[in-house]
Amino acid sequence: MGPSSVARIAVVVPALIVAAVAVHPRGSAPASQPPAPAAESSAAAPHGAADEDLHAEQRGGQPFDPRDLLRRGRGTMRSPAGPHEFYFTRAIYSSGWGYSRWAIDFPKADRQFMTVVNRLIDIDGSPYENAIRLDDPNIRKFPFLYALEVGDIALSRAEIEGLRNYLLAGGFLVIDDFWGSWQWAAFEQQIRQVFPEHPIIEVPIEHPVFNAVYRIDEIMQVPAIGNFYGGRTWEQDGYEAHVRGIFDEKGRLMVLINWNTDLGDAWEWAERPEYPLRFSTFAVEMGINFIVYAMSH
Amino acid sequence: MFDAIFEFFFKYRPLMFEQGDFAFRASWIGGLGVLAAIAAGVVTWRSYTQVRGNSQPIDRLALTVVRLAAFALLAFCLMQPVLILSSVVPQQNFLGVLIDESRSMRIADTEETPRLQFVQEQLASTDAPLRAALNERFSLRFFGFNNETNRLDVVNELTYDGTRTHVGQALERAHDELSDVPLSGLVVVTDGADNAPAGLAESLLPVQAAGVPVFTVGLGREEFDRDIQLGRVETPRRVLRGASLVTDVVVTHRGYEGETVSVQVEDEGRIVGSEDVVLGDEDELQTVRLRFTAAEEGPRLFTFRVTPQPGEMVTQNNVRDSLIVVDDRREKILYFEGEPRFEVKFLRRAVEDDENLQVVILQRTAENKFMRFNVDGPDDLVGGFPTTRGELYNYSGLILGSIEANYFTPDQLRMIADFVNHRGGGVLMLGGRRAFAEGGYAGTPVADVLPVVLAGEGGDGDESFFTEIAVETTRAGATHVATQIADTEEASAARWRELPPITVVNPITEVKPGATTLLTGPGGDLVLLAFQRYGAGKALAFPVQDSWTWQMHADIEVDDMTHETYWRRLLRWLVDGVPDQVTIDLPTDRVQPEETVEILASVGDANFEELNNSLVMASVTHPDGNFTDLPMEWTAQRDGEYRASFTTGAEGFYEVRVEAMLGDELLGEDVAYVQVAPSDAEFYDSTMRAPLLERMAEETGGRFYTPATVGTLADDIQYVGGGVTVVEELDLWDMPALLLLLTALVLGEWGFRRFRGLA
Repeated sequence: MGPSSVARIAVVVPALIVAAVAVHPRGSAPASQPPAPAAESSAAAPHGAADEDLHAEQRGGQPFDPRDLLRRGRGTMRSPAGPHEFYFTRAIYSSGWGYSRWAIDFPKADRQFMTVVNRLIDIDGSPYENAIRLDDPNIRKFPFLYALEVGDIALSRAEIEGLRNYLLAGGFLVIDDFWGSWQWAAFEQQIRQVFPEHPIIEVPIEHPVFNAVYRIDEIMQVPAIGNFYGGRTWEQDGYEAHVRGIFDEKGRLMVLINWNTDLGDAWEWAERPEYPLRFSTFAVEMGINFIVYAMSH
Repeated sequence: MFDAIFEFFFKYRPLMFEQGDFAFRASWIGGLGVLAAIAAGVVTWRSYTQVRGNSQPIDRLALTVVRLAAFALLAFCLMQPVLILSSVVPQQNFLGVLIDESRSMRIADTEETPRLQFVQEQLASTDAPLRAALNERFSLRFFGFNNETNRLDVVNELTYDGTRTHVGQALERAHDELSDVPLSGLVVVTDGADNAPAGLAESLLPVQAAGVPVFTVGLGREEFDRDIQLGRVETPRRVLRGASLVTDVVVTHRGYEGETVSVQVEDEGRIVGSEDVVLGDEDELQTVRLRFTAAEEGPRLFTFRVTPQPGEMVTQNNVRDSLIVVDDRREKILYFEGEPRFEVKFLRRAVEDDENLQVVILQRTAENKFMRFNVDGPDDLVGGFPTTRGELYNYSGLILGSIEANYFTPDQLRMIADFVNHRGGGVLMLGGRRAFAEGGYAGTPVADVLPVVLAGEGGDGDESFFTEIAVETTRAGATHVATQIADTEEASAARWRELPPITVVNPITEVKPGATTLLTGPGGDLVLLAFQRYGAGKALAFPVQDSWTWQMHADIEVDDMTHETYWRRLLRWLVDGVPDQVTIDLPTDRVQPEETVEILASVGDANFEELNNSLVMASVTHPDGNFTDLPMEWTAQRDGEYRASFTTGAEGFYEVRVEAMLGDELLGEDVAYVQVAPSDAEFYDSTMRAPLLERMAEETGGRFYTPATVGTLADDIQYVGGGVTVVEELDLWDMPALLLLLTALVLGEWGFRRFRGLA
């Protein structure tokens, strides 16, 4: 561990502890904040104060069920208009099991991650979560998108079209937290519908995405917290972490797929003393690299 | 006609009265006659005052006046009035006859006969009427002139293929040649389409001083019935390959009001732009805006053309050529961004396929941590933003993103201002939370350069401001090359109206005097794109923080190119005309064969400080492949300016390459081109310019003639011209007008008496 990592830890750990207390006092997963009513979410909120109001309301509302967002046809959790340059935006997608898994770790992971991001790099990032449906036209206002647990993703025609156009227009999608060969097969079958013409290939460690801000020398397998407690870093038959990508015809990275690893859990549980800091640090570095890369390439 | 009537009544033409002096040649007999007339007048007055009869006083007064007038007229005649004139002595004086042999003399604008026909009929042979009349009185010397003047032995030798008309030079040359002989005057036969670079007045001075009258004979019509003409076309001399050009072409016409014509631009024969125009009122200057792309590299001859219309008198003036050097080089632009922003990503994407733009990006991700893109080498910008002028001046353009003024040292801020003012670069500031006043730029040297007024001098601006607004083009923005985002002006304006709104965090409402606003928010309250020239360069303000919306928004098709087009054109325009360390400046890029071309070059060091001690060589490559090396000398008039010249030969393109060295160090080189071809200037504004010819004659004491009035030329020169002269006295007493007046007075008296019953 070099001096720079020590410095990072000195920044990250206090930040995460503060963020965790503020966001998720009981530490249960998935996130328990209720969504704002649909009417409020689409109201114009031109200033940052609107975010504060929105989330204050969330904290005092009903128990959160992510499926409510889909049932209500709800799109964005925040107004698309706002003063921040960057919003950590989660993709709301359809799942095949009847249980929407897009909101795993939501919103604690998002908030904790953004708390650290705002401390570590000089970015104007919204400290709050943001989620939007793939078939919502407003998705094009957020050129960075994060999706996880895509092993059971079951995209509708509108979602396929929305995601394809989003990525072709210049959007960037980071996939995380899905494991094993059968989840890969399911995901691959779905993403093939989005980009049948572009292959999925392994992103070499020399790729600029691994050097955008922090230098990543190897792809570490980041375990979900439950598995770590079980003494392993893998799930199912996903013994080795991979970072794969889909590139456009000009060789530009559009989709970054983190397979057999769970960066989101490392963001979410970074403040836990028992969760190894090396995983959280690696996950934060990877996430920051993804964001900066997505904003510059 | 007037002269003929005047001559009928007064015996001589008006010119002779103008030239002559009036006098009486009365002898003693005449004096007696006058006394007799006075005596008769007195008797008349006495008799009318004393004799009453049945007349009234008014009758007597009238009769007295009429009778006295008749006696006065008689006395005037008895005094023998004369005109005293100087008259040239026949065959003892010379007369220079200068004949225009330029191409415009071939224009057939008078009853379908060319202007040169007059020369053929009146001067070509010895028995031609005008030549014969002149020959009776003068020794004639003929000169042919266009852009040079030559003695003619035979008038029929004229070829009428001159490409310019330099009347002044012709007058000087003829006057010089005939300065040692008695010269009665110079006759200039021309259409007056003078296109000499120097004014005529200077050439007239020696002729005026010598008292040599110039007689001008104007050929052709002062107005054409039907003609279309393209005015001068202004294009940049140098552009990047693929540059989109917007060029205004001025069209004038006579006789085609309401008709639609097509104005085209061709890139060496290939039509690259076209615009239809309905012709307006006659002689009205009508501007046609043509859009085209300079797609091919090298010196390109772009031809602007209006298709000749039926009945046009001159079709050669429907065409204009313009030489544009199309460079296939990469202009380097440094984009310094102070934080991770999507603008970086989408701007990079917008210009990545533009082979002539290299946008080098320096992006701060954290304190003292930078990302670099598109750099030339591993050491480029490794220390962050350039700290020396030499390093910064390596770029042609500079984009400042959301980076606070405090990041820079005072010297760096001054350096950025000098980058525009002294180096001649283009700077563009983007909107953002750390830009403009919100970035603390008010009161800095950079604020002086910017075209907008920063609010909050000494403060940090309004950091709470945020608005999402649509973009409108101003009148200037609707036509400016940097804001053309579609193929036509109308399509571009429509596209701007369709674009989704963007967000602004820098409330800028005012531009500086002399700045031009191209884009605004609704109603023009907020300035969204403005520019101004500052020193040798230009500065732009684009206080928009997310132009990437024009690429990503759901209303924009994924294959839409508006965002790319906007940025490519804006950045190309940002670095358009940015000079290099060594820059050639040719006063003209089109000359005629055998003309001398002056080459000027500006030379500076890496900091663009002018150098007067460098070794500068020009190499001129001729169309046949031969080349000439010319050492260039410092002009001593301007720092860093060097001069050389060469004379052109055959037609074609001449490549001029200038290289400057300081010791063993190559400072830089530049290439320019000169087109050598016959000029078409003769066919523009080719109507006969009577006012010019009248002025020449008037200022020298000569006269202006047309083919209809030239019959009196020989007689007029006899009395107007200089040289060896004698004094002539011309009797006036026998003018028909006097006889008619006397008769009228006598008959008037008789008639009055009859009318009043007095006779």
